[in-house]
Amino acid sequence: MRKKGKWIVLALLLAMATACSSGGGKGGSSADGQTTLRIAWWGSDTRHEYTQKVIDLYMEKNPNVKVDVEYASFDDYWKKLAPQAAANQLPDIVQMDISYISQYAKNGQLEDLAPYAGKQINLGDVSENVISTGVVNGKQYGIPSGVNVLGFHYDPATLKKAGIDSLPEEMTWDTYEKTALQAAANKIYFDSGVAPDIFFHYYLRTKGQSLYNADGTALGYEDDALFVDFFGRMARLIEKGAAPSPDLTNQTKGIIEESELVKGKGIGIWQWSNQFVALQQVANRPLEIAPMPGPDMEKGLYMQPSMYWAVTSNSKHKEEAAKFIDFWVNDVEANKLIKGERGVPISGKIKEAIASELSEPTRQVFDFVAAMEPKASPMSPPPPVGSPEVIASLTDIVEELNFGKITAEQAAKTFRDSANAVLAKNK
Amino acid sequence: MRSELTGYAFISPFIIGFIAFTLIPMFVSLYMSFTSYNLFTAPEWIGLENFKKMFFGDPKYWNSVRVTLLYVFIGVPLRLVFALFVAMILNTGSRMVGTYRTLYYLPSIIGGSVAVSIMWRNIFSNEGVINHVLTIIGIGPVSWFGDPDAALVMLISLSIWQFGSSMLIFLAGLKNISPEMYEAASVDGANPVRKFFRITLPLLSPIILFNLIMQTISAFMTFVPAYIISKGEGGPMEGTMLYSLYLFRQAFMFNNMGYASAMAWVMLLIVSLLTAVLFLTSRFWVFYENEGGK
Amino acid sequence: MRTWKAAKWPVYHVFVAALAFLMLYPVLWMLFSSFKESRTIFVTANRLIPDSWIWSNYAAGWAGTAGYPFWHYIGNSMVIVVISTIGAVLSSSLIAFGFGRLKFRGRGLWFALMMMTLMLPHDVVLVPQYIIFTKLGWLNTILPIVVPTFFGMPFFIFLMVQFIRTIPKELDEAATIDGCGKFRLYLQIIMPLIKSSLATAAIFSFYWRWEDLLGPVLYLNSPEKYTVSMALKMFLDSESASNWGAMFAMSIVSLVPVVMVFFIFQKQIVQGMSTSGLKG
Repeated sequence: MRKKGKWIVLALLLAMATACSSGGGKGGSSADGQTTLRIAWWGSDTRHEYTQKVIDLYMEKNPNVKVDVEYASFDDYWKKLAPQAAANQLPDIVQMDISYISQYAKNGQLEDLAPYAGKQINLGDVSENVISTGVVNGKQYGIPSGVNVLGFHYDPATLKKAGIDSLPEEMTWDTYEKTALQAAANKIYFDSGVAPDIFFHYYLRTKGQSLYNADGTALGYEDDALFVDFFGRMARLIEKGAAPSPDLTNQTKGIIEESELVKGKGIGIWQWSNQFVALQQVANRPLEIAPMPGPDMEKGLYMQPSMYWAVTSNSKHKEEAAKFIDFWVNDVEANKLIKGERGVPISGKIKEAIASELSEPTRQVFDFVAAMEPKASPMSPPPPVGSPEVIASLTDIVEELNFGKITAEQAAKTFRDSANAVLAKNK
Repeated sequence: MRSELTGYAFISPFIIGFIAFTLIPMFVSLYMSFTSYNLFTAPEWIGLENFKKMFFGDPKYWNSVRVTLLYVFIGVPLRLVFALFVAMILNTGSRMVGTYRTLYYLPSIIGGSVAVSIMWRNIFSNEGVINHVLTIIGIGPVSWFGDPDAALVMLISLSIWQFGSSMLIFLAGLKNISPEMYEAASVDGANPVRKFFRITLPLLSPIILFNLIMQTISAFMTFVPAYIISKGEGGPMEGTMLYSLYLFRQAFMFNNMGYASAMAWVMLLIVSLLTAVLFLTSRFWVFYENEGGK
Repeated sequence: MRTWKAAKWPVYHVFVAALAFLMLYPVLWMLFSSFKESRTIFVTANRLIPDSWIWSNYAAGWAGTAGYPFWHYIGNSMVIVVISTIGAVLSSSLIAFGFGRLKFRGRGLWFALMMMTLMLPHDVVLVPQYIIFTKLGWLNTILPIVVPTFFGMPFFIFLMVQFIRTIPKELDEAATIDGCGKFRLYLQIIMPLIKSSLATAAIFSFYWRWEDLLGPVLYLNSPEKYTVSMALKMFLDSESASNWGAMFAMSIVSLVPVVMVFFIFQKQIVQGMSTSGLKG
């Protein structure tokens, strides 16, 4: 029995080892020079439809390439990608999210695209600030499919209803709080709270720090007073009715139709610029975009890729894959189909070329991003391996704080301990 | 010898399938439970570290155990009693009964779709129907999404509401009790309550055992309702963080596949012990026709 | 006594119908939402009846999502569901007969092993299983989803075993004396007697496969092979405006086959023993 047990363990390890070493399955060049590329992304109906059109266009222009597509919703996409990575079955081109790119890059799943830049991929019209957002550990693992910037998307009519004529110019955290409380006094929510990791990170940047340290081995700020100051203020705003209580946000999260702004009970939402278009569509009335609060907004603000295109290291057609990414970045016709749905195009030329094709809300987004671009500073490195666990822990702790179960000081300490425990694994 | 072979011949599909598709993956996951494995790079042997962390260094793990045990030990009995009750009232000769059966089964087939999550969150929302009714009768409103215990109650009610599968199995069992049994009892002058305890329950006991065991196992494995109600976060304040949900988060969100495997094998141990206990006690209360009625 | 007898049925129907309404409220909510305009669904969530009835959700949903009409997804699901239901019911009944009626060494052990496969959370065997199917070259086909069902589903096996065990053994003995082989015993005596559990298994298998999302998500890559459960998710997206109306409408449409299967097979359950010939 003992012997048998050992034998089985050996056999299955062997099976795993061979499984891991053998390269990606089908999809090769056939005799007639036809190349088959696999490409995968997450998203919705609209995205699937226009992306398919872009791909059809590409195949028309490159008759030697056949592109097979795979798509799913965001959470299904990652469920699908993980076993594909474990079995070396990743598609040639994958859409990557900023919270996952380190994970896939550091474990050797993605290809460094720097050698392709200037050859297959022309990045001549892209600003250095933007290109560098795809760098992990000094290597270009992703090319942004478009960029986003943080802002406050609000309904000016509701603002008036709350007795506020206009948002303060050059908003600071203090004028923000004052204005929010004014809205609360009129029984209107000023905002719907903030995504803790993103906005705390922004706040830290305005103070010259960041959420993670440069090599991702610990938190990037030393002073817990920063945590207490930021989240303490947010909790205070909830307590005073300037933002909905967490039980309310639990019911409505993820559904734009149920947001307080759409229902006319809230003034605005703090979020990424590419989320504006959908919000505007659902609300179906004019909305506006305001910049982030300061002081030192310039230090805090950064252009973030809404998502990346990446080439996987098990791809057998890396050059062809790179050419497709080039098409995405630089082709005018393609971008007239894309219409900035994956973020504002990274190429300056493309931005100009498609300006006339945009719908009103998309134009608002392009204008806002253009106005913010000169003010933005370089992005911090993408979140390190383990960041999903850190973010989950932050979300839980901030929820407890917002429910009033713990104090901001306790929250700061608990978060530091749990986050550093996770990040220490990166040492 | 011949009968041995016949036996194995009949169960051979299971044996083949088990060896082909399940055995190796099970061993691999057992092996992974002693490693640090992130799905991308080779697993690294760390001995009992995962188990140590689980038992002594992870309060969230214990919270998920607590929530799951509450979910199982409150939810399963309620669901079974309700399912049996409905099966009994639908086990009549009335002509409408086919329609009723379908209607009662409907909630169970809209399953874990997104539609259910939206619907359920709306019904339990602060201004939803449930709170409306609770306010009228003077209990509510309850903040279902603000209190971890209330959220668990919501989760349990979702599981009771989807009682159709157990009901159907009870119904099939009830139909298999021959009417002559009841006729004989009626002649003896037994009242309905007596008939229920003297005939229905004993004759149904193999089916009750089945439902009890399967419902317990599947309650331990419950994932979808918790995932859809909390959008995968297990909130509020970990109130709906069932064991399987926590395991899923470790495996596929945090990519701690080694830790998740360790969790899975502890789960296997707990559930199989519990199932063994149920099987052992069954000899005192389950009545098999073909074993001469013990 | 007499008045109670007369009143019994109306009381019964009122009670059963009222309870049914309570149970069905959420289903009705979904049904009526499918007739509301997408943007009013959430605003009027507390009112069951739509202000104005519209059918356009059904038209929009039926026209499909991501380049394929909705019936295309129904067709894909149907193929998977029908094949795997046949596989599951046939193989499970064979195995159940072995476990429930035949005596052989190691029976308890195999049964315990079978139960154990139910108790290990699926998440941790998923990756190794995926690798096995990769090695077999089964990716992007329905094989990883349907083939395993031909090797028995533990839930159904256990269910049928329990039903087989309620059948008196004298029957087998009589049949064996008649010179009936084990396979004929299985096919001609036992199967008809456990028809109700076969029907139950068929209903469950059909429904479980129909709503299964994980299998298709993992193993089907090409959009042309996507199933109903995947299509329903594609109506929604947290990053852009979702077509809720179409999603609810198609959720209702996708219930139709399941309800039909239920309605057909539940008759088998109802018949049960009373017509299965045990009496005579």
